[in-house]
Amino acid sequence: MNIADVQIVSILPQTLLLAAALVVFLADLVWKDRKGIGLLALAGVLATFVATVVMLAGPGVPTFQHMAAADRFALVISLVMSAAAVLAVLVSLDYIVRVDLPAGEYYGLLLLAASGMMFLGAATHLMTLFLSLEILSIALYALAGIRTTDIRAGEAALKYFLLGAFASAFLLYGMALLYGATGTTSLAGIAAAVPSVQTDPMLIAGLALLLIGFAFKVAAVPFHMWTPDVYQGAPSSVTAFMSVGAKAAGFAALVRVLVAVFPTLYAWWVWPVGVLAVLTMTWGNLAALAQGNVKRMLAYSSIAHAGYILVGVAAGEAGVSGVLFYLMAYALMNIGAFAVLIALERAEEDAAGVELERMRGLFHRRPWLAAAMTVFMFSLAGMPPLAGFFGKLYVFSAAVRSGLLVLAIIGVINSVISAYYYLRVVARMALAAPAEEAEPARCPALTIGTGIAAVGTVLLGIYPTWLLNLVQGTLAVLFGG
Amino acid sequence: MAQAIFIILSLITLGCALVVVTNRNLFHSALYLAFVFVGVAGLYFMLQAEFFAGIQVLIYVGAILTLIIFAIMLSRDLMNPNVRGFNRQWWAAAIVAGLLFVVLAVVLWRAPWPAAPVGEPSADFIAELGQALVSPAYVLPFEVVSILLLAALVGSILIARER
Repeated sequence: MNIADVQIVSILPQTLLLAAALVVFLADLVWKDRKGIGLLALAGVLATFVATVVMLAGPGVPTFQHMAAADRFALVISLVMSAAAVLAVLVSLDYIVRVDLPAGEYYGLLLLAASGMMFLGAATHLMTLFLSLEILSIALYALAGIRTTDIRAGEAALKYFLLGAFASAFLLYGMALLYGATGTTSLAGIAAAVPSVQTDPMLIAGLALLLIGFAFKVAAVPFHMWTPDVYQGAPSSVTAFMSVGAKAAGFAALVRVLVAVFPTLYAWWVWPVGVLAVLTMTWGNLAALAQGNVKRMLAYSSIAHAGYILVGVAAGEAGVSGVLFYLMAYALMNIGAFAVLIALERAEEDAAGVELERMRGLFHRRPWLAAAMTVFMFSLAGMPPLAGFFGKLYVFSAAVRSGLLVLAIIGVINSVISAYYYLRVVARMALAAPAEEAEPARCPALTIGTGIAAVGTVLLGIYPTWLLNLVQGTLAVLFGG
Repeated sequence: MAQAIFIILSLITLGCALVVVTNRNLFHSALYLAFVFVGVAGLYFMLQAEFFAGIQVLIYVGAILTLIIFAIMLSRDLMNPNVRGFNRQWWAAAIVAGLLFVVLAVVLWRAPWPAAPVGEPSADFIAELGQALVSPAYVLPFEVVSILLLAALVGSILIARER
């Protein structure tokens, strides 16, 4: 074999994360300082973030042997992932000491999951696609159950594992059928073969099974049953990371497969995706209305946001840039919202997440924390001029341009419904404070993480153009050069 | 002749698979699962994929099944034959699974099955497979699998260890 054929630079962000994970695992053996190990992990994800930015700014990098692309699409996904990982590590630094989680395993698995997510965003071959999905899933199953003393976390991990394995089986079956219909497992090869086999029932069935598998992974209704319990049972910092990371990675792979490989079958997949989008938005929002627990409410809200993103996916080629923008915006505002919950959470009584009542009076006790939460809630509700507003604007306008006016209208109606439960949190924070409330946690890293997320959410809303320029035209190089 | 062997192997595989999911005793299910794996290995053998037949027996019967049996024996109450294997929604599951089966059966029946040119399998097939695994074309999935194993190892130890 010729080693010069291997372009390791194409998978530089993923490799950096893996290296960081190994360093963390090894350091944990000799070093019992949980904060120190967290700082090692932080250095790793920061290096990955910088490497991704440099690669985005530099000239294009070739695809790794038809297995993993380093095109703009993959790099933007890597950017979202590394930003999410930086924030996740920042909010974990103090939290995992407080709730007593093992540092080495926690950060190591988090980094492994992040690298799996990046590989998934870059995968251009069914083999890498499946393997990277399994890496991120297995790491997240374990992270969801990392609080082994808590029965709820055990339930969350088991449920996630069983349904996740089920979803993987669907994906594999779909991939097998795609291979049967086209005779190749490379996405470029399948894309080349699609025009000649067109509506071969085997191809359509393979595509349908693949769609079901991804729908499970991104928590689209009616494949969402695991989501509320898993998001509530897992430690808050894990929920923050997986609600953003796993979703972004799943959508990245879904968009690459649907838009780049099956553009000629658009008429076949636009309706299932559209129906999924409507169900997901509507059910997620209606169920979130009824929640009295903020963590569980955010779980349902994350289902609803998967629905908005599905609107962008249904818009096809026109929706790709909107989906990427939305994923970035969602990463900032959702991890931010969880960061505030982490600050409020107390180890014993809040194992199931912070109740809505606990938000009462936050404006009087910690005005900055409450202000940050207000930014996140407004942005999640889609109020201008915050990041969430532009995310919705771009996916909905893409849907209109693709002639899916109904989807956009249902999306807007849903945003209005969602405003009720997001603003309810803000209203509760503005009420008079109960006297006996304990002080929320103060930790520099947590403050920095919350601050970055809040500033990012505002900046993306005021200057959406820089990210928009970055995500525009990624489709042209969806397979890389 | 080959047809007859194929039918017998398929019947053994499917029959044992049915017992696996209907049997009340989980331990017996695991033992029947062994026959399913061996039946599938036989099918591979008939397709002249001797290497995969061998691997199938080694990994599925040798490793995975052993693991399953250990897990059953080490878990409390899993061997209790009074634990019901069905819940109230079994009929709904059966309907959905049946529908999926019908759809897939129709699809596979009507598929044109583009046949690859049949060549004599190379004598050095296994050596070629091994080299392909570490060739630039497949080196990435090969390495990614090891990451997957690392994640699985760390994850399972994390969940299972005593605190």
